[in-house]
Amino acid sequence: MGPNPSARKKAAAAGVFAALVFIPALLFSTMIAGREISRLYGLAWAFFAAGTAYAISYTGRVSFYRRIFFSVSALAFLLHFKLSLFGKAFDPSCFKDTPFCHIAMAPYFLNYLYQQYLALMSGGWKLWGPITLGAAWLFVTIGLGRGWCSWACFYGGIDDGLSALPGRPLLKTGRWALKARDLPAALLIFAMLASLATMLPVYCLWLCPFKLTGSFLDQQGYLRGLQYALMFFALAALVLAPLLTKKRIFCSFLCPFAAWQAFWGRLNPFRISIEEGKCTGCRRCVAVCPTLAISCAPGGKAEILPYCNLCGQCLGACPARLHTYTAFGLKLPAVEGALGRLVSAEHIFVFSALLLGSAFSSLWAPAALRDLVKIFGTH
Amino acid sequence: MPAIFSEGFLLGLSTGFYCLSACLPLLAPYLLAEGKAVWKFNFYIFMQFLGGRFAAYMLFALLASLAGKAGQYSLPAWLLPASMAVCGLIMVALAAGRVSGGPGHCLLNKDMNPFFKRLPLALGFATGISICPPFAAGFIRLLEMADIAKGFVYFGGFFSATSLFISPVLLGTPWLGGRVNEIGRLTLLLTGLWYAVLGLTGLLK
Repeated sequence: MGPNPSARKKAAAAGVFAALVFIPALLFSTMIAGREISRLYGLAWAFFAAGTAYAISYTGRVSFYRRIFFSVSALAFLLHFKLSLFGKAFDPSCFKDTPFCHIAMAPYFLNYLYQQYLALMSGGWKLWGPITLGAAWLFVTIGLGRGWCSWACFYGGIDDGLSALPGRPLLKTGRWALKARDLPAALLIFAMLASLATMLPVYCLWLCPFKLTGSFLDQQGYLRGLQYALMFFALAALVLAPLLTKKRIFCSFLCPFAAWQAFWGRLNPFRISIEEGKCTGCRRCVAVCPTLAISCAPGGKAEILPYCNLCGQCLGACPARLHTYTAFGLKLPAVEGALGRLVSAEHIFVFSALLLGSAFSSLWAPAALRDLVKIFGTH
Repeated sequence: MPAIFSEGFLLGLSTGFYCLSACLPLLAPYLLAEGKAVWKFNFYIFMQFLGGRFAAYMLFALLASLAGKAGQYSLPAWLLPASMAVCGLIMVALAAGRVSGGPGHCLLNKDMNPFFKRLPLALGFATGISICPPFAAGFIRLLEMADIAKGFVYFGGFFSATSLFISPVLLGTPWLGGRVNEIGRLTLLLTGLWYAVLGLTGLLK
């Protein structure tokens, strides 16, 4: 007995959706990665993105397959960047030097504006950064908004992947967690002001766990010791805390870019919404949300906070399936026919997120694949 | 005297950005934490802050002129780190004094102790005695002049010009609300810790 007609229609629609993701992803990944390495690696990465799109569309399990794509991307970044630092055999392709770090952009924003002001005043207006970097960020924010932190960030994939590993949390996050949920916003404002006052990237020096080196730190004994301690604290929040709590602790409490994107993400029309008046207050969505972005509103109903980064984890947790992706607050009208589901808010968002995520990760993921081929090819 | 005032004013105009960057980390978190969506209230905080700065400048004008007269051309090295540490600790105390165990959304939302309502004065004073390059330039000029009246006028001009750079901080305050206050209190805590650590490590050097 063959597959039933509805499953076939679903598979066909998922196939079309995967093709819609594959074509532009291929264009971007071969264009970006193909500048320095074989275009076949870009092709492989585009296939991976399209496979993720197919799996999401066919099964409806957004967060499960998103997490695989997201974590692989983050691991690819770590692999390629670290290998390029430690071995000459692995020349860093696509990023010739230290890669651009979006997390640093937010806390250093005032300094950045000041530097641009100096460039403008000194007649170097043609090199004015906002035209390129600012436009790229604006494009990503309009297309992906808060979803950046769950679909494209090359650091977020680490704690997202780790938070999925344990079956149950060993430590439960209590009420303190929601009370301290504004900490990234405070950290962002503090780091912006302190960076401007000292003309130093204060967040990167004091808290960033990704540098994993002391070469940038202060020379003075006490301060250096404190900077090391904070760096390892942040590293524990990134690696250890998700394993203990099943929550993305670093992204939820220590990442200033999360607050930045939560603020500017309102430019993006996509949200996860809960059908009004139907929430029973079971709090299952609150328990599974990895970024602690769902709280209890008065009356016990779930309320989605601005820190939600549209990972989709709550979609499957709600027994009544009340959580949905919306655009401008609408689910979008149902369209008849096999392909009608492709114009739902969920599919349009996933398309946008996977496309931008795969295009951005083309800077390192195809190169990481090339590194692996090199490693296994030489043995 | 107008020439002396203009000299200080021009120094302030040309270097006001540095004053802005030095003052913002102290003033902005306090405004965020304690400001209201009422312009007058925030202006009052701002005026207190300026009052603290003005007092510090006048004190320095006096000290610099006296030091110049006495042929002393240096200040005690502990002065700046000590002021930073004290200021940072007061900010931490304010933030910690507002820790709530109640059902509110944020950790820091208790009513403010009246003592802390004068904190902007202390914050302004702390920024006023921080030795940034433009301030040092003015200070050296005063040592040369070694005249108390001229010193007051010179730093009066410097204060007036640099205050112009700081005043735009008030522009965003009409949008302050409960949520921003909560974020501001956490920012105040972080900034207080930052200054306390920098000040204390400076003293231990």
